Amino acid sequence: MARITHGIACSHIPALGVASDFDKWEDPYWKPIQEGFAPTQKWEAENLPDVVILVYNDHASAFDMKIIPTFAIGCGESYKPADEGWGPREVPVVEGHPDLAWHIAQSLILDEFDMTIINEMDVDHGLTVPLSMVFGKPAKWPVKVIPLAVNVVTYPPPSGNRCWALGEAIARAVESFPEDLNVQVWGTGGMSHQLQGPRAGLINAEWDNMFLDKLSGDTQELRCIPHIEYLRETGSEGIEMVMWLIMRGALGKETRELLRFYHVPASNTAVGHIVLEPVNGDVPPSATVEGAATQEQID
Amino acid sequence: MTDKNPCENAGGPIDIHAYLGEFDDIPGTRVYTAQRARQGYHLNQFAMSLMKAENRERWKADERAYLDEWPMTEDQKQGVLARDYNRLLDLGGNIYFLAKVFSTDGLSFLQAVSTMTGMKLEDYQAMMIAGGRSPEGQRSIKEHR
Repeated sequence: MARITHGIACSHIPALGVASDFDKWEDPYWKPIQEGFAPTQKWEAENLPDVVILVYNDHASAFDMKIIPTFAIGCGESYKPADEGWGPREVPVVEGHPDLAWHIAQSLILDEFDMTIINEMDVDHGLTVPLSMVFGKPAKWPVKVIPLAVNVVTYPPPSGNRCWALGEAIARAVESFPEDLNVQVWGTGGMSHQLQGPRAGLINAEWDNMFLDKLSGDTQELRCIPHIEYLRETGSEGIEMVMWLIMRGALGKETRELLRFYHVPASNTAVGHIVLEPVNGDVPPSATVEGAATQEQID
Repeated sequence: MTDKNPCENAGGPIDIHAYLGEFDDIPGTRVYTAQRARQGYHLNQFAMSLMKAENRERWKADERAYLDEWPMTEDQKQGVLARDYNRLLDLGGNIYFLAKVFSTDGLSFLQAVSTMTGMKLEDYQAMMIAGGRSPEGQRSIKEHR
């Protein structure tokens, strides 16, 4: 049976990809960030999962304004790094896990999360930067990846509450997959940042750290934060943090913090990172008739 | 059955007008609403086209001719030619799409974003290194907080 072993959250600032690709980590500007992620790289090597469900947002790369899926899951065999305007990053092709991805997609739809299914797409910095931060520069990524893309660009994005509930549904889906697999869920993006207008550069370290604090333990407060609060407190692009709640929801009732790092700035943005372990991974049963049938298989 | 909704204010009907109205109360910010998405559709799709290397070459060879292939307003075209990103946000541009324009120019996010703040690049970068722009006074126009 597949199981969710840990959750990781990580900013996906494009400049971090540049720092990695062009070996800038010794530069005094980037050094603290490299040091901040070093414990995670070591920890991840010792706790390597088979599959990462990587929650991220596409930044006008695979999706343009023609089609805007709220939640989309990658069920393909592999995904190439996208050309975002300066040529694709020279990082390994991302290998998918179509068996688990299709299982999750089907389970989620029966659980009344109406997913968009993606069979082919390129993946941008939103997905590849966290891989670089956690794995460095390997010739091949050491895990399979299921991309889960969330619209946080065109308003309204999904609510934090909906994201949390989707995480719970992902946990139910993973648990009902018969193969013996260790799965991590990653939430990416954030923390404080605003990339537009005269208010650009806004950073709210106090709010960000409150958010990091409340990812641990059994509080569910974060799922109730309205969009306007992210916008006012953390900048217009801080809304990406709703994606962290999919990760948090998937870890169940109670979590413990293993590693954490916060640093300002990388480019325009606050870098936030946390590694969480489920203490009590229970999630509520599905409310649907179809979902209840799936639940019986689990029990 | 699932637990009841854990969020007091969620689960009931959302007043979309009140939801959208609050966005206008944030200083110096254009939230990318449906209205802006409609207004800026072709502007953003033009920017998107610069993801292809062959389009970037054509664009660099003759920006005006390239823009004229798109059903954009003259205002939008002028805004692009002037790289006036605040104006482009007002005309429905979205920063992730506009990023294709400044990336093609060889600008980083930091360089391009600083142009919208009225600050010199060095000053903007120094502000970021010192911890970024404080949220104090930047949360709400009406409430001065």
